[in-house]
Amino acid sequence: MELYQELTRDVRFIEGLKSCMNCGICTAICPAAEFYDYDPRIIAAIVQSKDEERIEELLKGDTIWYCGECMSCTTRCPRGNTPGLIIMALRSLSQELGYFTESEKGRQQLAIKRVIGENIVYRGYCVLPENLVPELHPEQGPVGLWIYENRDEVYERVGANYQGDGEGALRKIPQEAMDEIYRIFEVTGGFGRFDKIEHFSKIKAESMGFTEDGDDYSDYVKYINTNNNGKHTRQ
Amino acid sequence: MKHIVIIGGGIAGIETASALTDTGHWVTVIEKEAQVGGKLNNWSCLFPTFTPAEKIIDELQDKCRNKDFSILNKTEVRTIHRQNGKFSIETSNDHKLEADAIVVATGYELFDARRKEEYGYKIYDHVITSADLEELFKTGNDITVAEGKHPKRIAFVHCVGSRDEKSGNHYCSKVCCITSVKQAIELKKRLPEAEIYCFYMDLRMYGKHFEELYREAQEKYDIQFIRGRLSEASEKINKSLLIKSEDTLSGRPLKMNVDLLILLAGMEAGKGTAAASETCGIGCEESGFLKTTDSFLKSNFSEQEGIFLAGSCTAPMSVNDTILHARSAAMEVNGWLRSH
Amino acid sequence: MYREGKIQVWQDYQKEIADNHYFYVRSCIRQNFFPGSEQTFLKIVRTELGKDIVENPHHTTCSGIGYHADIVPFDTIQTIVARQFALMTEAGYHNLAISCITSFGIYNEIIETWKEFPSELEKVRNCLKRATGREFEVPLNVAHAGDIIYKFRENIAARKKFSLINQHTGKPLKIVEHIGCHYSKMFPSKGVGGAEFPYVLAGMIESWGGEVIDYPERRHCCGFGFRQYLVMSNRGYSVSNSRKKFESMEPYKPDAIVSNCPGCPMFMDRWQYVIEEMEGKTYGENGQGIPVLTYEELAGLVLGYNPWDMGMQMHQTNVEPLLDKMGIHYDPDLKYAGKDGKLIGKPMMTGCGC
Ligand code: SF4
Ligand code: SF4
Ligand code: SF4
Repeated sequence: MELYQELTRDVRFIEGLKSCMNCGICTAICPAAEFYDYDPRIIAAIVQSKDEERIEELLKGDTIWYCGECMSCTTRCPRGNTPGLIIMALRSLSQELGYFTESEKGRQQLAIKRVIGENIVYRGYCVLPENLVPELHPEQGPVGLWIYENRDEVYERVGANYQGDGEGALRKIPQEAMDEIYRIFEVTGGFGRFDKIEHFSKIKAESMGFTEDGDDYSDYVKYINTNNNGKHTRQ
Repeated sequence: MKHIVIIGGGIAGIETASALTDTGHWVTVIEKEAQVGGKLNNWSCLFPTFTPAEKIIDELQDKCRNKDFSILNKTEVRTIHRQNGKFSIETSNDHKLEADAIVVATGYELFDARRKEEYGYKIYDHVITSADLEELFKTGNDITVAEGKHPKRIAFVHCVGSRDEKSGNHYCSKVCCITSVKQAIELKKRLPEAEIYCFYMDLRMYGKHFEELYREAQEKYDIQFIRGRLSEASEKINKSLLIKSEDTLSGRPLKMNVDLLILLAGMEAGKGTAAASETCGIGCEESGFLKTTDSFLKSNFSEQEGIFLAGSCTAPMSVNDTILHARSAAMEVNGWLRSH
Repeated sequence: MYREGKIQVWQDYQKEIADNHYFYVRSCIRQNFFPGSEQTFLKIVRTELGKDIVENPHHTTCSGIGYHADIVPFDTIQTIVARQFALMTEAGYHNLAISCITSFGIYNEIIETWKEFPSELEKVRNCLKRATGREFEVPLNVAHAGDIIYKFRENIAARKKFSLINQHTGKPLKIVEHIGCHYSKMFPSKGVGGAEFPYVLAGMIESWGGEVIDYPERRHCCGFGFRQYLVMSNRGYSVSNSRKKFESMEPYKPDAIVSNCPGCPMFMDRWQYVIEEMEGKTYGENGQGIPVLTYEELAGLVLGYNPWDMGMQMHQTNVEPLLDKMGIHYDPDLKYAGKDGKLIGKPMMTGCGC
């Protein structure tokens, strides 16, 4: 498959890369470049070169997963590019082809799909109070813990309608609405994406010695959520 | 005797007028300002030789004094009509002129650096343009920043308002790279203690002695050239500026604190040239500069027969190139008049 | 810094904000972390401003966090957004009021995509029809909820009970504003004041008596980064970017941070706690943190609303230093109480409580 050709089928890619003059304006203010060994200018330059080998390297590597999709890189690009959009097209393709499991950062897609993805399809929210399990969210601090443990009462106190019927914050989204979201995922390839993430992740998990074990590779999910080889940041 | 009206009394206009007078024509220059010389009046000295701008101005003024062409100062063109192969021109102070040919020499305008909001020109205290710096050189005033101190670290920003889709200007302004080199050297001479950095994307050292001056800037004056375009500037509590770029040659984001930031504002066709395009009925390029019928052989010809173009109303141009373009305009006008 | 220069920029970016009849879409993050802010927003719009704003319980997440973490394909999110438009259209509304900056960015991105690639719009119309039988119109006006508060900031000022003035010194409170990257970095013309000197929050702060603090890293991202926070082992990205902002604003001694975006205040609130835990470093006065507020909370305080009704006890970084400066009376014993004063236990605060 011609990877570059594939990328051009994504409108975000067309919008994201017109031509790059390698000026570095995007890198200068990129929060990912600040922290990781990452350079959006180089991403634009590689893709622009249409070098299939290097594009494949990107799709299989950690680099494309460093971006935070803050879109700060679009405001000032003198050529009207948006490296963040190029990244989105690359990530989509990486998942499409199963290349994402080749890198530590890419493998994390399964962990995200398992929480955020399921929330969206089955609950109609990206995040839910029940997700903020203190062990996974130490940054939420004592207040976060207090909210988590007393969530019915805290949300009631501040006027939310947690899991209730009708309008309001954190209401239970009616089943008819959830059925529609489900159908949208079917019709638009949302489940196709989910299935690919699951499928390729399982192959990878097995090859890394994880087993299904009746709990859907939860050890693998835990592993990818917390593993960090420490080689990602700028030295 | 044929009469030629020249719109604009800058370098191009006066130089064309002078050359056409020499070939025996009757010439009138229409200039909107009180004096001739255009933007050159605000400049201190010229690259790459550090020739005082005054020297060129004096030369232009000598020509105005000694040669037999007239200048209508503080005058603008209001309308132009073509009748029986002649042009009748009406000016802002109700002069009516008849001309056999017209030369448009309306020049350029400096890019308004405020439009690059992220650099904070006219917002932050110590961000100036190359034109402001030139004025400082000209007045000889001390160059100071916060608390009246001399700036210790200074950065020049190339391509401000040029080569930039966001400013709407896709073209290169051609003269700002070498201006930066020239100004950096002058600054270093005045402030030997200062560290000076130039943030460039490509160094366009196209002219005679330009590359040599660049080398001198590096070797003799220790000016640092960093290949990276400036993304933003922000003001710190002590009024110094935090600037962000990437050192693209080493592939690293680069943050620097500077006391003074100098923006190399590019050239735009400007209002005068837009107005000339309108009154003369001649077209502009996408850049706003006036269209020539052929860039090789007819670089002084507009789309309208009998209307000629001289100088930076056609494209960004150095003083040197402007003089040459003006002289060639004079030759073309002369040739055309003789064959008509 | 010259204010005139900024005024010039602000004048260049005046966006049109509908004046009434809004269809409200909620934010996942606001609902989880600051649900009282959404409540406060609706109360201000309905009771203080007397405007018509409706919501439909059938609306859902826009799936934006999933989209920006790349597990939701573009076609899917476009169709989910189209479904929200369909609910709006069916309710007879044309003006969208969006509670979330991520959503706001997405709605704008999608609408712009449809303008540039009409075939995408056709595709989405088909997908939505097939999946739900619904049809939709593109909204005539897309406002972030903050835009609406901005538009009516003077009306709020006219009804204010408290000002952004330090009651002890009589001086304006120094407030740092944070816009949220997706508000105007992608489409500067869609944000009040544009991308470089946004005025949406600055305008509120000034109208209510405060002083806006501009600091070098003002434009920098809070560090959310979607997957960079969602995945545990990536969170160093998130905290280090927030930290960079705190370090940069610290010399100005801000009295509060106010944010436009749902995620940013949560991060800037929680990361202050984490930095204190990790390094013992605090950024506010007297070993305290800098209170981080949503603009709805700021407006609510100005209007004299009870901070605990607005959910300000859900902040990890204590907000009391700000309340004290504004001269707002509050009952510390009721801070962590449940409904009707019911006692439900308190957080086990460590350190300064930030
Ligand atoms: S800002 Fe634009 S042109 Fe410059 S390096 Fe980045 S993508 Fe390329
Ligand atoms: S979108 Fe990605 S590449 Fe662009 S500035 Fe943000 S983190 Fe950097
Ligand atoms: S001459 Fe140099 S500074 Fe000027 S626009 Fe061209 S490349 Fe940029």
